[in-house]
Amino acid sequence: MPRWSTYEIPVDTGLFTPLGLQPTALCRLGFNAAGCWLGRHAISHRRLVAEHRTGLVVWSAQLAFGEPVGFFDADCLQIRVTGRIRGAGTQFECDLEVGGPLDTRARLQACCIALRLEGDPALSGIPARLGPDVMAAFLPDEIESQPHRSPVRGLRTAVVRDGTALAHGRLPFVIRRHQCEVADQWFWPEAVSLAAGGREDLVQAKAERVPLLLSALQTPVRRIDLLFNRPFFLLDQGAVWSSAYEWEGRLVFIHELVGSENDQPRALVTEQFSLPKERAWD
Amino acid sequence: MIVHVNGALLRFTDYRRVITVAAPTVEAALTKLAGEYRPLQTVLFDRRGRLRATHRIFLNGELLAPDQLASPAGDADSVELLLAISGG
Repeated sequence: MPRWSTYEIPVDTGLFTPLGLQPTALCRLGFNAAGCWLGRHAISHRRLVAEHRTGLVVWSAQLAFGEPVGFFDADCLQIRVTGRIRGAGTQFECDLEVGGPLDTRARLQACCIALRLEGDPALSGIPARLGPDVMAAFLPDEIESQPHRSPVRGLRTAVVRDGTALAHGRLPFVIRRHQCEVADQWFWPEAVSLAAGGREDLVQAKAERVPLLLSALQTPVRRIDLLFNRPFFLLDQGAVWSSAYEWEGRLVFIHELVGSENDQPRALVTEQFSLPKERAWD
Repeated sequence: MIVHVNGALLRFTDYRRVITVAAPTVEAALTKLAGEYRPLQTVLFDRRGRLRATHRIFLNGELLAPDQLASPAGDADSVELLLAISGG
């Protein structure tokens, strides 16, 4: 049986919006919980980097929100997390559940690619399989041969092809150090924050003409999918290109996070919201 | 040659993003740069003095293969130094 870690964290107001758990907070809790699971059951993240020269970089993540978990619902949130290796040792994946009372749940699945670190102070690395010493720390049930496959490109294709385009917008940004991790590379949850900023600006700019867009400020997001192509680094300039669609009874935002090279997006983020008349969407 | 430094490498060049280096080739420019900014030495080069595979070097916007680093370059040429990914 795959091993799980379960623990509680006290709530604070910064984890929430008026609509529920902050998506960025779910990402941060998830990455921290994955580190907790690794430390308890396999090898701590710090030892992976420092002793095994192995880095883990998130390249795909899915966030799903059930009934909203709010600040006033409970004093603590229950965290439940497990981890596994996928793709013959090329990926590490974690599953996280954040629960409040009455079985409210938010879920995160995040898949990391493994890097072999060069050993330099910039923590530079290249994709590689996990070493046998690292693999040995996982149970057979925690090793899956099939790689994780991101749903983002397929979702984007379907939404653009079959959906009704509602609005488009662009929001420039610069990556600051508070948005980065230990190597001055952006911390991946920032993709969620930047995409949300693009959406909020788009809604503000276009809601008068397209009132449907207001759902994306009035109701909590139901699902977020992320796919990373390459990271942003400290002081990199970029822009969020946001497009809103009505698709299969949902309001969907596709965000392309593009660097100053204006090449293919460094990250893709999709956000899905229920439309006003839709009651149960899961 | 004008060397553009980005992102995770900035802390190794005292946060200077654009540095002019007088050198006949891209490879020589990088070596000279690492000599002027010593912390950059172990970031750019391995123990054998080879450029680490984790870096991407562009000359006037064109990605250089490792065997093209010895290409001659002039004062007005632009070299961009990118770290592809880091494992923090």
